[in-house]
Amino acid sequence: MPPTVELAPETDARVQAIEETDILIGIPSYNNADTIGHVVRAVSAGLAKYFHGSRSVVVNSDGGSSDGTPDVVARTSVDLGAMLIRDRQSPLHKIITPYHGIPGKGSAFRTIFEIARRLKAKACAVVDSDLRSITPEWIEMLIRPVLSEGYDYVAPYYLRHKYDGTITNSIMYPLTRALYGLRIRQPIGGDFGFSGRLAEHYLDQHVWESDVARFGIDIWMTTEAIASGARVCQSFLGAKIHNPKDPAADLATMLMQVLGAVFALMEAHHHAWLDLDGSNPVPLFGFPYEAGVEPVHVNVDRMLASFRQGLADLEPLWRQVLAGDVMEQVCSLQGVPDQDLRIPDELWAKIIYDAAVAYRARVMPREHLLKALTPLYLGRTATFVMDTQGLTSSEAESRVESLCESFEKQKPYLRERWKQFVTT
Amino acid sequence: MEEFIDQTVLGPLTELGRQVLTILPNVLAMVLLVSAGFLMAWGLGHGVERLMRVIKLDQLCNRLGVNAALVRGGVKSDPSRLAGRAVFWAVAVFATVAGLSALNLQPVNQFARSFLGYIPHLFTASLILVAGYLLSNFVWQAVLITAVNAGLPPARMIAALSRWGVQLAAVAMALEQLGIAKTIVVVGFGITLGGIVLAAAIAFGLGAKDLAKDFMERRLSGGPDSRGPDDLRHM
Repeated sequence: MPPTVELAPETDARVQAIEETDILIGIPSYNNADTIGHVVRAVSAGLAKYFHGSRSVVVNSDGGSSDGTPDVVARTSVDLGAMLIRDRQSPLHKIITPYHGIPGKGSAFRTIFEIARRLKAKACAVVDSDLRSITPEWIEMLIRPVLSEGYDYVAPYYLRHKYDGTITNSIMYPLTRALYGLRIRQPIGGDFGFSGRLAEHYLDQHVWESDVARFGIDIWMTTEAIASGARVCQSFLGAKIHNPKDPAADLATMLMQVLGAVFALMEAHHHAWLDLDGSNPVPLFGFPYEAGVEPVHVNVDRMLASFRQGLADLEPLWRQVLAGDVMEQVCSLQGVPDQDLRIPDELWAKIIYDAAVAYRARVMPREHLLKALTPLYLGRTATFVMDTQGLTSSEAESRVESLCESFEKQKPYLRERWKQFVTT
Repeated sequence: MEEFIDQTVLGPLTELGRQVLTILPNVLAMVLLVSAGFLMAWGLGHGVERLMRVIKLDQLCNRLGVNAALVRGGVKSDPSRLAGRAVFWAVAVFATVAGLSALNLQPVNQFARSFLGYIPHLFTASLILVAGYLLSNFVWQAVLITAVNAGLPPARMIAALSRWGVQLAAVAMALEQLGIAKTIVVVGFGITLGGIVLAAAIAFGLGAKDLAKDFMERRLSGGPDSRGPDDLRHM
């Protein structure tokens, strides 16, 4: 039994006063005073509009903001009359609490899960505090499948530009789909719905002193839900517009955090994916539509230059990570002119699989291994951009689909290499 | 005649025989100690080699780049074998010194004392060299990856300089530990490092002044990267 999470005395008293709830919405924050007001308004309106008969609590789990984020949450209210909502029957409770433990989104979620457990919440959702495009409908789409359809986990499905979320498109979605056999389009979306039962399951895992507490909580929640046998679905939420991520975090660090989390989960759940083949669609709720999204400017030359430099300078390190024939294929790209340079889908799938095995085998310090993949990732992203120039986002989606099929097709390669490593 | 033979031949022989009898136990003790020591060295060396293979030292060293470095240095034995040989020779040298001490000869005893007193320094120096080597490889890898990801063209040179810097520092510390030309080592290290930094600064100032100017301008003005816009959102 893992230790219970310590709550601040005021939070504890507030939880005891509320006693029970049907719905709990968690908002982790850290210096988001300029955006969190909109998020709280959307959440409040969503609860009033779609769940007016249910007891609801909004929890803001704050990491010690210095810009008055908790004050903004406390004084934010929504004019329900202006939204033609007149039959709110249950009051909306707000809990504003600091979280304890390692600083990070994971620790903020842990506090939210703990409050959900103590309040015996039936359905929960977490939404980012930097969202600019959240609407009241998001709350319905994240909560309704749990309350009415019996799902345990609701992953988001966003409308995104074809070059928005390239790590998701080229690694996280294809890899998660090929490994666990479920086509969850946004496994690291950041906004999720889940049942109270699943929140308890999350709390019971011994991961809260690990990197999960700092970063990687999104992919951990998705993977843990799948591996625990939870019923999983997706909800269409429309466009996701949010503040840029930490500008100080560079691409290599981002890649290290995301890939490190997914590779560590592969180790922990190898029994859940090793013998699976193919994939199945996951139910999608909502009303998907296509619309113009913010344009994204891409500098392909810079990405190709980075790939070429990696090929010239990091070759000895890549040789330790990649299998011989895979490395030869990568090296064969050396003299190819920029306009013809492509990292094909199957080669990319093998590169990611080799990296996962090398991570498991600790062929070099893990941080080095993950960061050394950055030029390869940029080469692959450049390939995707060159292949999809002039295509609409939905046409580009078919390229992502074909990449996913390659990941699935190459799964026996991963299985063979993984088992080979385990037995030697 | 008999008296003459007694005095000139048998006397010295008797004396020699007495001296031999006096030293014989010591010689026997030496032979015994050295033999037992070598036997123990063989056993321990063999045992350590097997133990290292069981705990997969070779694989660990392979990951740390030690095997590659050994091959580059012309050493064909694997790390487990080397560890076994190191233990063998350490015990063998101890046994030999202990055996020589058993002879109870003044110069030998003096040498043995000096040698035993020097061993901790030798051990520390070896540790410094090994740790310095491993650290230099780690630093080389980290600097190379960071420089490549930052798009710095001389990434390999920067990484190589970092590696040599760490190895140079390790050698200087090891030599100081061994008491070899302490002052020269410290001064030499200072001059070399200072020279490298100065040379790098001059080279950068003269050879890459446009790059430096461009970099500073972008930093100070907060202007866009001249290589073109890129607001790709990876996450």
